[in-house]
Amino acid sequence: MTPHPRLGAARPSRRGFLTGGLAASFALSSCAYIRDDVAVDAPLPPSAKAEIDGDLVYFNWADYLAPRVIKGFQEEYGVKVIESNFDSMEGMYAKIAAGNQYDIVFPIAKWVVKLRREGKLRAIDPAQLTNADQVFYSGSYFNEPWYDAGSRVSVPFTVYKTGIGWRTDKVSSMTGSWHDLWNEEAAGHIFTLDDQDEALAMAALTLGYDVNTAKPSELEEMKKLLISQKDLLRAYSSDDINDMTSGDAWVHHMWSGDFLYLRNGLANNPTKFDFEAPVEGVPINSDTYAIPTNAQHPGTAMVFIDYLLRPENAIKNMKYLYYPFPVRDALPAFADLAKDVPACNVEVSDLENENVFRLLPTDEVQRRAAVWTEVKAS
Amino acid sequence: MAAEARAEARAEARTPRSAQRTWLWGALLALPTAWMVTFFVFAMAIVVLLSFGRTTNDGFPAFATSTANYRALWNDVYLELFVRSLLYALATVVIAVLIAYPVAYAIALHGGRYKNALIAAIVVPFFASYLIRMYAWKALLSDDGLVNSGLRKTGLSDGVTFLNTPWAVIGGLVYGFVVFMILPIYASLERLDVSLIEAGKDLYHGPVRTFFAVTLPATRAGLYGGVLLVFLPALGDFVSAQLLGGANTFMLGNLVQQQFNEGQNWPLGSALTVALMAALTVLMVVYLRATSTEAREA
Amino acid sequence: MARPRRVERKPALAVAVTVVFFAWLYLPILAVALFSLNDKKSLSRFSGFSLRWYDELVHNSALIDSLVASLEIASVATAGSLVLGTMLALGLERVTSRRGRVIGAVTLLPLVTPEIVTGVAALLLFTGVGLKLSMGTVILAEITFSIAYVTVIVRGRLAGVSREVEEAARDLGCTPFQAVRLVTLPTLVPALVGAGLLVFALVFDDFVLAFFTTGVDPQPLPVRVYSSIRFGVSPAINAIGTLMLLASALLIVAALVLPRLLGRGTSSLDLITGGRR
Repeated sequence: MTPHPRLGAARPSRRGFLTGGLAASFALSSCAYIRDDVAVDAPLPPSAKAEIDGDLVYFNWADYLAPRVIKGFQEEYGVKVIESNFDSMEGMYAKIAAGNQYDIVFPIAKWVVKLRREGKLRAIDPAQLTNADQVFYSGSYFNEPWYDAGSRVSVPFTVYKTGIGWRTDKVSSMTGSWHDLWNEEAAGHIFTLDDQDEALAMAALTLGYDVNTAKPSELEEMKKLLISQKDLLRAYSSDDINDMTSGDAWVHHMWSGDFLYLRNGLANNPTKFDFEAPVEGVPINSDTYAIPTNAQHPGTAMVFIDYLLRPENAIKNMKYLYYPFPVRDALPAFADLAKDVPACNVEVSDLENENVFRLLPTDEVQRRAAVWTEVKAS
Repeated sequence: MAAEARAEARAEARTPRSAQRTWLWGALLALPTAWMVTFFVFAMAIVVLLSFGRTTNDGFPAFATSTANYRALWNDVYLELFVRSLLYALATVVIAVLIAYPVAYAIALHGGRYKNALIAAIVVPFFASYLIRMYAWKALLSDDGLVNSGLRKTGLSDGVTFLNTPWAVIGGLVYGFVVFMILPIYASLERLDVSLIEAGKDLYHGPVRTFFAVTLPATRAGLYGGVLLVFLPALGDFVSAQLLGGANTFMLGNLVQQQFNEGQNWPLGSALTVALMAALTVLMVVYLRATSTEAREA
Repeated sequence: MARPRRVERKPALAVAVTVVFFAWLYLPILAVALFSLNDKKSLSRFSGFSLRWYDELVHNSALIDSLVASLEIASVATAGSLVLGTMLALGLERVTSRRGRVIGAVTLLPLVTPEIVTGVAALLLFTGVGLKLSMGTVILAEITFSIAYVTVIVRGRLAGVSREVEEAARDLGCTPFQAVRLVTLPTLVPALVGAGLLVFALVFDDFVLAFFTTGVDPQPLPVRVYSSIRFGVSPAINAIGTLMLLASALLIVAALVLPRLLGRGTSSLDLITGGRR
């Protein structure tokens, strides 16, 4: 194996490498595990021009944009969309960190903070986007969102909240609190989202703590609370839609858009399903469009973002995903989708709240991860 | 090395061409050996190294000389999970044997001219995506799924909770891996000399005793191979527990998977992997000792 | 081996188990086929017949890309592991030294290593040396995992090939390479076909290794299916499953029938199952 060019820049922290012959030889070829040299708040790589410069390498949740919108883009611009999917934000981040080159990614707000801080995102110049005023109009929250100062590297995609969906024909005693996830009436039919941030946030809100807490004492209480739920719990699952339609779930910790899709898009009898946003408060988060620094076709990505911001495309996507898109001329169409279940509505102003998931230091992330692992493993 | 030299010397004595030939076969070995050393042995070594590693403040895995990951594993929760995974894998093996042996037996000894077709019919579904079949089970076994609505219609039951139980997970594992039990058993039954069974019948009176005295011992090799081929993947699987399991069926594979994804703790995941391999090595050694002793005695 | 005569009455229990087993084996597959024809998105309730998911599949470029990616990965990995695995089998069969035995043991290790371990190791290796995760890395990992299967099957066949034939070829003036190429390799063809089929199927359907090593290229199909967990699986996936099943059934039939048509006594399947030699 050829020595890696970066070898010369050995740092003290790499001493850990030199623990035995094999380790030493490995050190020659690899620096990938030590990145203390990650650029923090480095100057942003400049924005690309919105010009087609190749096929679009697209990295998103599976099935998270209307296929006909993607198809329309391919036809209109004569390029291919090469689609990859992640099944968790951590998975997305790991692939980007490993150096994979995607043209457009769809991080949740807190991951924008991390990616931007590490210099992994390219600037997006709104002046390049003909539809920029749809999200960055005067007075828009997104001119200065909490996760991206000056909105330099991200364009808002969706906003959503997390609450509880339930079967009105199976369960009668819902109280409008997170304690409904301990409702004895639904014992054996309760599901909690298989998602570390969501599950911990649910426990934290139930106990009156901050959704991002990493205090050991509070985490300990949250762990006990979550473990106490396991007697009543059917499973941890993020497939909330199928869990509800298959009859397995009567009470499901659930994302607002999934619920609307279930009720309006799938159910034969919509009144069998209802959704509540518990009184203790709910996590409200937002997804974004972003372009990685190492994107090979940032121009196409810019064109794609501009295309997605067209109100007619945002409406098509909303009607497919049932999440509100904060696109000015499209948003009114969402009110219509959510009119029967106002609890599913998310106002953009809701983003200015305490319950967004924030980027935490590694030690806190690991403390939280350990709690979540123990809950699931026990 | 000495043994090698002796072997070569012996070969030399047998035919003069041997030296040249050994060189040829040795050359054939070079490329695949280099490949396996690079992509398997070396990769494993990295796992071992990283298991003593840590996570940097930026969240990256880094090599270090800490035993913290192993100490973290010494925890009731993880030990319980380890035992649970072992039990699930053992149950999977037992059920797989109980299914595979009769099936292989019926096909090998009574399949007649349809033998190959029947084996093919077992292999075909195994060629169509494991994940898709798991999803299909999930849909079939759900509370309002086809199986339960069938039960309700026939009035046998007003619904059984199949999904999200330990048995669903074990069932998924058996479904996924039983073919690895059937094929080796089938192969050893195929090779079985039928006259032995007939002789056994005269000797042992009755098919059951004949089976245990003649047929079963003669097919031991296939059975032992199948046990390994089912046990190992079952112990490392995370798909069955994730799709069919419930709140209390988390397995070792899920734990490893979680450390590399949501948990973002590659060093801990590596330590888990090493612990898994260590446990497997011990089990394998015990198993191989036991089975080879038994084979010698037979 | 002697043609097995009927040795006893059909064992009722074994036959019963076999019948139940086949029902159990095929139940989910029938469900996949059935729900691929459902007119609603539901995977648990059949509401009416429709081909809409096949239509959606044809127009879903991401799914098609994944299918093609899986086919490519499986083809390249099959070819690669056939070459390396056969070299290894030839070498191991004829090298009797202790070094040979050690190599033999090491190369069989992937067979007894849970895939999640192999997957983790491959991920750490690739990211460690700075290889970008891509279809290439999936292929590398899959080849490593498949070599052992090829080696085992080919060695099984080689054990039955008499070395004297090769020697005879040498006496007739062949070089060692010619002897292998002209004499040994042709007798290995059925084993190679069997091993190739097996590896192709294993790799095409492999999820765990692909999950850990996939990158920017279109995702292999199993990874794509798995990624749909969060938002529910589209019945178009069932449509793909049904088509894959039909294709593999055809492949198997071909594997069963072709060798007979070509006048060979053994079908490739015997080699997968280690049956008659």
